[in-house]
Amino acid sequence: MSEISAESSTRPAEGGSPKEGYDYGTNYLEERKLVGRWPAPWPQIVSLIFLAAIFYISWWIFQDPRGVMRMYTPYVGYMYTRWILIVVIWMVYIFDYYPFKRKWLEETHPALKGLIMTAIMVVILLVLIHGFFFELMGKLSMTYFSVERTMDLGITRFYAKEYACLACLMFAAIASWLSPSWPACFDNRPWHLLKQPSRGVTILVVTFFLSTLIYLCTMHSHMAILYYPWQEYCAVTAPWWFEFAGTVSGNFHVSWIMCCTVVLWIYETIWERWPFSEIKNERLRGYATFFGIVAIAFCCHFGFYFMQELAWGPAIMGDRRLWAPDWRWLHVGEIMVFFLVPAMFITFYCNNWPQKYSKVTNWLIRNGITVVAGIALYAVYYLTAHHFLGVQQEMSHPQQFPMIPTIWFINIMLIHNWFMDNWPGFKKVRKEV
Amino acid sequence: MSDKYTVSRRRFLEALGAGTAFGFLGSMGAFSYTPLRNRFLPDKPKGTTDIGEVKKLTITCISETSWFDNDILMNDMDDMGGLLVNQWTYPWPPEGKPNNPRGDLHPENAGGYAALLDIELLNGDHKFILLDTGWEHGWTDQRFKECGIDKMLKNNEIDCLFISHEHFDHFWGLPVTMKYKPDIDMYIGGDFYPEGKQFIKDSGFKGKLYEAKSKTRHLFEIKDKNGKTIPGVAGYYFPVAIICRVFGEQSIFVNVKDAGIVQVTGCCHQGILNFAEAAYTTLKGGDRPYGVYGGLHISPFEDWDPKYDDLVFGLGKYGFQKIGCNHCTGVLCARKFVEAGYPVVQGTARFRSKTTDFLGNGDVIEFP
Repeated sequence: MSEISAESSTRPAEGGSPKEGYDYGTNYLEERKLVGRWPAPWPQIVSLIFLAAIFYISWWIFQDPRGVMRMYTPYVGYMYTRWILIVVIWMVYIFDYYPFKRKWLEETHPALKGLIMTAIMVVILLVLIHGFFFELMGKLSMTYFSVERTMDLGITRFYAKEYACLACLMFAAIASWLSPSWPACFDNRPWHLLKQPSRGVTILVVTFFLSTLIYLCTMHSHMAILYYPWQEYCAVTAPWWFEFAGTVSGNFHVSWIMCCTVVLWIYETIWERWPFSEIKNERLRGYATFFGIVAIAFCCHFGFYFMQELAWGPAIMGDRRLWAPDWRWLHVGEIMVFFLVPAMFITFYCNNWPQKYSKVTNWLIRNGITVVAGIALYAVYYLTAHHFLGVQQEMSHPQQFPMIPTIWFINIMLIHNWFMDNWPGFKKVRKEV
Repeated sequence: MSDKYTVSRRRFLEALGAGTAFGFLGSMGAFSYTPLRNRFLPDKPKGTTDIGEVKKLTITCISETSWFDNDILMNDMDDMGGLLVNQWTYPWPPEGKPNNPRGDLHPENAGGYAALLDIELLNGDHKFILLDTGWEHGWTDQRFKECGIDKMLKNNEIDCLFISHEHFDHFWGLPVTMKYKPDIDMYIGGDFYPEGKQFIKDSGFKGKLYEAKSKTRHLFEIKDKNGKTIPGVAGYYFPVAIICRVFGEQSIFVNVKDAGIVQVTGCCHQGILNFAEAAYTTLKGGDRPYGVYGGLHISPFEDWDPKYDDLVFGLGKYGFQKIGCNHCTGVLCARKFVEAGYPVVQGTARFRSKTTDFLGNGDVIEFP
């Protein structure tokens, strides 16, 4: 048996959770211990091969422009990728696997669990996208969410779909930052004592509301100027960030929102919630964590933009590709996601290696590995992705969205770790808390 | 010293490491988006390459209607899987092309892009460049005849064929040009795919082929039919990725005496400002942009993106005096340009061009 085990989350057990909450998956991730079936590094290598195989097969079937369904249009595929991420987060982080019973989670074969929970995820995904956004929101509220209504107004079918999917995916991007923020920053307080599904529904509604608020203040104006003339009576035009960001594009917000999302997950994984975990007062810790993550994210947001200016010269308003401010902002978000992939692998499959030094030393080493691996992944992606993913060459091509394959890979990691207990490379043993 | 003030080497290094990490993050935020950062950014050098001057440039729009119905074209693309699908796999016309020899998908919707550049040199001589060669063979041939291109080709009056990029609507009409002048000299980008090169062979090309350098931005000379450099004219290759799995676009600079630089493009996938910046940093006199002709690839399918509004805002400071846009510029974009007060030259909406908002088929523009 391997000395190196892998645990899916550094989320501490929730003190004070009612015993009834254990009927479902409350604290399942924290109490589960995944142990490699073979000596290290074989479980990690097997897992990487397994992930890569599932990634490539599913990419070919669903996304690849040379493949079967060709959803990388790009926004259709991008939307599903984003929503898979948020639905998986909801199922596990917000709802604690509800309605699956703890006994079922512990005793069912991981492959079967993966299949069943993935199927449920897909059903939720389709109901949300096609029911809530395309039908309800699109037909009763905001026209741009409806493909049919937008087509009726004269937009071609292709762009009607692309615009609707863009709006949908932006909502998911915001939610994928805010929804996990609640458990990660506030330990689900003040609703941590509620049973499931009450707690999940409450946090879902609260974070959905906050996501809606941020969506309306950021991406709604972006959507409103997609149409001619600008829809100035229903949205602020020109968007309020125009002069500061050097672009009217909502990519300015994609950048900082992605920075917030990635910093949050890095904090939750390889940082093991340090340094904010040093704050003993729960309420203060919650606010410090949330706003501290936002502050770090904004540093990355501006810092990576500056690095692009150093590399390629100042951006030029109205120019395209490498020199376009809107692409530079988007690319900040893309850069960040490249760092998230190795960070999650270190946590999910390497038990947050190393663990043998002090907390700070471990933290520094993990960050160092993540930075080096993220840069390597960035280079490999742009040098080779057009060969094996069917995407276009060149990093700033308008249809080049590395966030699609990287988040697709992250989705597979989440499903593999959260739904399937890292099977087949690992097996689950009970860990005492 | 008291023990309580003692710091171990390990603790010191840990604090140093963590402090450096957070200090780096903090400085990224505090410094990098302030005016202070400008001191690290390089100055933009003016270009020094002298390409000479011409007296006058006259461009005839042979065809700017690459397709006649946006919905049909976009639905074809949608059905095939979006904007990144390899164009050579489409069953669009012409029949017999490499990869997918079918050519029966909406041939009635296919048009093409082509333009004739009439360059009057300072000594009064004229040089002619055929920019692109259309798409659907029937339509291309019809427009060639209506503009007299067929006769000019037969009479060896045209110095060269300049293919801006490999896209179907600019390149797949090559057999029509070959029908009249198979030994014409031809300029292509440096990153044509194998299907494109096979298509050139299959089209019966027998002339001299000038291929730009692969994956490299560069200026290059354009020669007349006698192999002499045309003064005042230069090509520029932009290694940019383009939809439908095409790579690279080349465009033309013409330096018009007492006016400035005219930028002539097929689709300008590199971006009109990128093109202008290339003139600024490469050409002597490149800081005097005068005019534009061609597709600017902004809203080719009458789609929109907020970044295109950035262009509408940003174009003004370049001071173009004559904008002869059409084709993939999009009618919507042309209207926004006019609303912003830019000097867009109106068209006459003849020969199946649908709008007077920009130059159409059969229209002529002169610089100056």
